[in-house]
Amino acid sequence: MPIPVLRRLLCAGALLLPAAACWGETWPERDWASRPVAPSAALSEFETYAFPARDDGTRQGIRSDAVVVIRDGELIYERYAGPTKASTPHLTWSMSKSLLATTLGVAYGEGRFKLDEPVAQYYPAFQGHPSVKLGHLLNWASGLAWQEDYEYAPLRSSVVAMLYTRGRGDMARFVAEHPLDAVPGTRFRYSSGDSNVLAAALKQMVGVQAYADYPWQAVFQPLGITSAVWERDASGTFVGSSYAYMTARDLARVGLLMQRGGRWGQQQLLPKAWVEFNLTPFANYQADPAKPGEAVPGGHWWLNRHLAKADKPWADAPESTFAALGHWGQGLYVLPEQKLVVVRYADDRDKTYQHNEFLKRALAAFAAPEVQP
Amino acid sequence: MIRRHPLRLALALIAVVLATLAWHNRAHLQAFPDIIGAYSAKEYCSCRYVMDNPAPYCAGYVKQWLPLTRFLDDSTNKRVTAEGLGRSHSARWLDVRQGCQLE
Repeated sequence: MPIPVLRRLLCAGALLLPAAACWGETWPERDWASRPVAPSAALSEFETYAFPARDDGTRQGIRSDAVVVIRDGELIYERYAGPTKASTPHLTWSMSKSLLATTLGVAYGEGRFKLDEPVAQYYPAFQGHPSVKLGHLLNWASGLAWQEDYEYAPLRSSVVAMLYTRGRGDMARFVAEHPLDAVPGTRFRYSSGDSNVLAAALKQMVGVQAYADYPWQAVFQPLGITSAVWERDASGTFVGSSYAYMTARDLARVGLLMQRGGRWGQQQLLPKAWVEFNLTPFANYQADPAKPGEAVPGGHWWLNRHLAKADKPWADAPESTFAALGHWGQGLYVLPEQKLVVVRYADDRDKTYQHNEFLKRALAAFAAPEVQP
Repeated sequence: MIRRHPLRLALALIAVVLATLAWHNRAHLQAFPDIIGAYSAKEYCSCRYVMDNPAPYCAGYVKQWLPLTRFLDDSTNKRVTAEGLGRSHSARWLDVRQGCQLE
């Protein structure tokens, strides 16, 4: 008897299989189902790029800490380097922003806010900026005069001041004190400040009591994520811009959720409209011709989309690729057509690492032959 | 006088420009010395007590071009203190979900 028929009979009959299996899909339970890829030339080329000899003294070059690859819900590859292990809750840096978006997505599904509502409705410190809407923050288009540069302009960097000095006690309030220098919703300017205002707005959306547990209750527990840490500022607001941690295997669960359109098992955890918003390029985004590899901003996720005046940023990856990206080389790449999720944790201190080269080799090594682009 | 001391005039002009820049950036300048201590304390604390990496690795992980003048990792209380440019900052591990926070 063919397997699908057998499966359908078992599902219809005595519920002998878990619900997920009835859909013909593999989902992680306590851990991932594992089906390691066989060694190949493409795999060695991938490893040559991702895991060159590592020097913690000079900190030069590509320094992957972890790579985990999921294909169609099964773990097909993982490797760790440096001090990072399978059990290490690694810093996600700015991938936290996309985790915040996922958390907000659940709140959105619960009807707790709408994208076109003013931020000030949920975060009173924003009363001085009544025209900034929640959707603007999610597109990093608040219009606030913000300087994101870290290491190259530490003196005037808004993000360094927010995380370490003048803003650290109450990061969202520090952001709110910035003036506007563009009309909200018209200009993309990547800002960790915008993300932390969203993290503060979530407090009023779900209530102060529920807030501290909300990311766990809304996202981590339903996905079976057990390693998450999310640091807060002194006012109790999650540092939504920068300070979420989890193991590479756990982060891959968020990737699978997004790969499957916001659905986890039979539950539509994120509304389809929310995922669609995440994956829609910000309408007023203008690609910088001087930076051709820069990913396209969506709703707190990064997209490999071709635009009217610019080619897709990662030429060798399919246009449907999207990612959560963070400082020092962090990446959670989702390739829905190839059913691939790739987590990369790293400690890249220079600009050697290239998303496109990594993805090109990952596709050659991990995509099933029939769906190689 | 100006003709006789062009260098003095140039220096005076530079001083005025620097003073103006300093005034304009006073909030940034005042906070600047705090960065190294606060950054080192916070990121070492998280490296060590959230990510559970070995202490020597974390010391290298937070190393910057500016040296620290004092560093203390109080492993009993999971509290990290770092001093640089004359300013001292501490970060403390709170619990398994909240990780570290600057004090």
